[in-house]
Amino acid sequence: MARFPSEAWFKEVQEVYNSDSSLHTGGGGACETTAAFKVGDECYRIVFEGHQCLEIRSASEAELASPETDFIIEMAPELWKAMVENIQEHGAAHDDQTLNSIDLRQDDSIAYSPEDDQARQDLFYRFNQNFQDFFDASSRVETTFD
Amino acid sequence: MSEAPVREQEHELDTSWMDQMGEWGIKAKPGKRGLTLAEIQIGEYGELPETTDNMTGRPRGATPRPEAYRVGAYGVRNLSEIWLENATFLYEEALQRQWSSATDIPWHTIEPLPDDIEEAECLLCTFFNEVEFVAGDVPARWIAKTSPDFFEARHVLIAQVMDEARHMDVFRKRALANGGGLMRMSGATSGFIGSIDLARDFTEMSTRLHISGEGAVLTMFRMGELMGQNDAEKRMYRLCAQDEARHVAFGVMHLRFLCEHAPERRPEIECYLDEAEAQIMAGLQNPAGTQAETSEALAILLGGGKAHYDEGHKMLLVIRRRQLKEYMKRVQSAGFGERFENGRSSIPEQYAAAY
Ligand SMILES: [Fe+2]
Repeated sequence: MARFPSEAWFKEVQEVYNSDSSLHTGGGGACETTAAFKVGDECYRIVFEGHQCLEIRSASEAELASPETDFIIEMAPELWKAMVENIQEHGAAHDDQTLNSIDLRQDDSIAYSPEDDQARQDLFYRFNQNFQDFFDASSRVETTFD
Repeated sequence: MSEAPVREQEHELDTSWMDQMGEWGIKAKPGKRGLTLAEIQIGEYGELPETTDNMTGRPRGATPRPEAYRVGAYGVRNLSEIWLENATFLYEEALQRQWSSATDIPWHTIEPLPDDIEEAECLLCTFFNEVEFVAGDVPARWIAKTSPDFFEARHVLIAQVMDEARHMDVFRKRALANGGGLMRMSGATSGFIGSIDLARDFTEMSTRLHISGEGAVLTMFRMGELMGQNDAEKRMYRLCAQDEARHVAFGVMHLRFLCEHAPERRPEIECYLDEAEAQIMAGLQNPAGTQAETSEALAILLGGGKAHYDEGHKMLLVIRRRQLKEYMKRVQSAGFGERFENGRSSIPEQYAAAY
């Protein structure tokens, strides 16, 4: 049982994502990006390389802002929680709880480049399926919340 | 034993071609992403000429053959006219992220829909079919006009043509999958979208196609997830959006390269952007424009039926605002952001008014 959000939770998701080859084809193929998630004050850095999620770990805010980060997905904790709960309930994001749908319902994008470079923010769109698959994989992680 | 007469060999085998080699002894090694195009940009094979007079189709790095015909009337012979920094990367990404409209879309999740929703979806599918024909045909024309010395950039465009073929077929499949069919054509190809094909310069074309046209379509594809009534539609739109974002990236990275390597062309590029922006306004903001039917279909789908049109229209305006903002930020990323501050562009005004 892992708590969302925590490094342990993300690492369990990583394990599920990497071990299920069905998640690495059909539009969710090779992906090359370094991104980050911000859940309230908590920051996580994620690296995709080829068909693997190479790294997911806690990071400092300063590290997130480094030029290495293509984009950061930042949402209010209650939005994150609603999304993860929805995935737990349905096995994958249902209705309007995909990252892309959540994004479109906000006035401003939930994904942004720390360097304010749209070409790097656009990687959120280019690799969207991988990020969705990653979070959908969390349906197989027993999850608790704060 | 054969009774055929044994003949003396009349000629020595001429193997002088064996001495006609390009740079030799090359040993390309796979990197962590495999043996990509970036790994074979080695020695002379990786040297990009600023300007090329290769009119014979000679592969870059091969030894010239003096008697070779001039097979290609290559109009694009300057590196800055077509190049982008991440061409090899984008090409590999396109190859490795292909998907099949036959097997990667959960078509079984489609169920009968109310008439107004089915008709709106089919109208969009018809519109996208028209648009994707242009998005495939136009880059295809420029591929053959580009010197083979710049093959990496050509390859990205070739991959785009494949993507557009898939987009065409997936929307056609959706239109024919649920009791509906195609609707009356939108005529978009006679307006702005058709005008993409009138470009006389590659960057003029890329500005219209990749940055303004496909940038706008990217937003529409992304909206597809909100409009989709089932997993098949949601996935179809999401996968198309990924491809589209790659096409937009080509435009942004190319414009950035041109801006850095041929700054003398800036004033001309600003004019292309003026034209593209005037068209964005006509195509998306003017309710009397030829795109009105498409906008109505979007609002009906976003709202969840004709009865909720106003709600859908409101959502559409919010998303269009995002679309304008992203357009500005892409142009800024390419190095032409000043136009939004010095009053040249009317997009900031439209953005402020788009509520
Ligand atoms: Fe496209």
